[in-house]
Amino acid sequence: MSPRARRMWSAALFLLVLASSAGCATVRPWDRDLLAEKKMSFTPNPTIQAVDEHIYFSKEGSTGSQEVGGGGCGCN
Amino acid sequence: MLLATGLPAVARADNGSSQLDASLLLYGEQGRAKVYEPTVRVTRLFPDGQSLSGQLGLDVITGATPSGALPSGVPPPVVPGGGDNVQTMTAASGGGGGGSSPPDSGAIPVTRFHDLRAALDLDWQKPFGLITPALGGHFSRERDYQSIGGNAKLSLSILHHLTTLTAGAGFNRDDVFPSGGTRLPLSDSTIIIGHAWNPKRVNSGMVGFSQILSRRWMVGVNGSLSVEDGYLTEPYKVVSLMDPSSGLTVGQITENRPTRRNRRDTLTSSVYHLTRDILYLSHRYYWDDWGVTSNTVDLKYRHELGETELGRDAYLQPHLRYYTQTPADFFTFGLVQGAPVPAVLSSDERLGPLRTATLGATLGFTAFGTPGEWSIRAEYIRQFGKGHPGNVVGVQRDFDLFPPVNIGSLVLAYSIPL
Repeated sequence: MSPRARRMWSAALFLLVLASSAGCATVRPWDRDLLAEKKMSFTPNPTIQAVDEHIYFSKEGSTGSQEVGGGGCGCN
Repeated sequence: MLLATGLPAVARADNGSSQLDASLLLYGEQGRAKVYEPTVRVTRLFPDGQSLSGQLGLDVITGATPSGALPSGVPPPVVPGGGDNVQTMTAASGGGGGGSSPPDSGAIPVTRFHDLRAALDLDWQKPFGLITPALGGHFSRERDYQSIGGNAKLSLSILHHLTTLTAGAGFNRDDVFPSGGTRLPLSDSTIIIGHAWNPKRVNSGMVGFSQILSRRWMVGVNGSLSVEDGYLTEPYKVVSLMDPSSGLTVGQITENRPTRRNRRDTLTSSVYHLTRDILYLSHRYYWDDWGVTSNTVDLKYRHELGETELGRDAYLQPHLRYYTQTPADFFTFGLVQGAPVPAVLSSDERLGPLRTATLGATLGFTAFGTPGEWSIRAEYIRQFGKGHPGNVVGVQRDFDLFPPVNIGSLVLAYSIPL
């Protein structure tokens, strides 16, 4: 693994630990009104998100999203 | 790989419910490719929380794409008596027809093409208490490419549903069958070595972690990897040969890429709910063993408009995205005639040093008197790179070998319970 890749993984791990620590302050059930909204999602518009990922997959050399799998195409 | 679709949220009722999601993409690159992409998805949600969905999509693609060749450097001859001042070039997928080099000696040569792709996706998931498994399948076919794939994902909700752990895996069994046959790599593009299908296999895995930090804030971290094996070469792209002194193009050879590619990425996301609006922010870092690394920053701000003349529950969501990429190790704009030819090389600009800037917005609303939700997304994308490399000679030094590309896209989407 390259030094840069190691730094990125370390940063992601740090964020994960930080998030875990912060989450220990419990959010009570009656405080989850906003969290229950449909728009409180990492992909609030999954249809448009899928279209975007297809566009950038065709135009750029990278991949990666919230999901795994899917389909290939001759566009890249 | 990996055109993920994602499952839309479906309104739930005690006796189950169904939802229809339809969309239409209108996409156009200035002077290049045009795409029309309608999709339809039907989702059935059962009383026990199980959901099953199917999506059918079409891609109608026309226009032109860079061939990988350098500008000829020679003004085209004047045809006595007028007439089309063009040269024909080998067509890409879709067969038939010809391309044309533009009347500008410094313009990037393009190849005209047309294609039609159909795709079918099926997805299923069901919650079992704190655990939610999901399965998906995919099939798509176009003139010179077929993809068959599947994926599985498992989510575990812990710590009073404040933390979600996700793991997934996917596979693709793709095949490439270029129009006119498979060209011999690193040689004249007229040499055909066969008409058999060339397999391409992709196996991928993903782990994810999401955490609710407060009443308003949640974050997530995803890491994924994929391994590609098989025919990874772009069958229609070429690499130009330059005269060592003048830089004029004197020939071209077909490109050749490695037969294996290991990809990695980490995606960090944040969703923060303000008083009424929501801020979405994400960063993705990508790297692979071809030498490509990239950073993607994506920002969306959902501004709630409430009830407007268009309808109720309206919102306006501006979008900014910035992407930077380093080139693949074997990327080159061209070769000097007589120099050793590497075993792998490509002039495909998508593997070159490029940047993409996106500016757009989504307008969403529920029209009065109808239950469905409309979404209209318009975006401007500008892609640009470093078009003055140090390894070109002669007249090629005077040209911008990666001129900016202006792209516009419009998405119309409609979602309605059935």
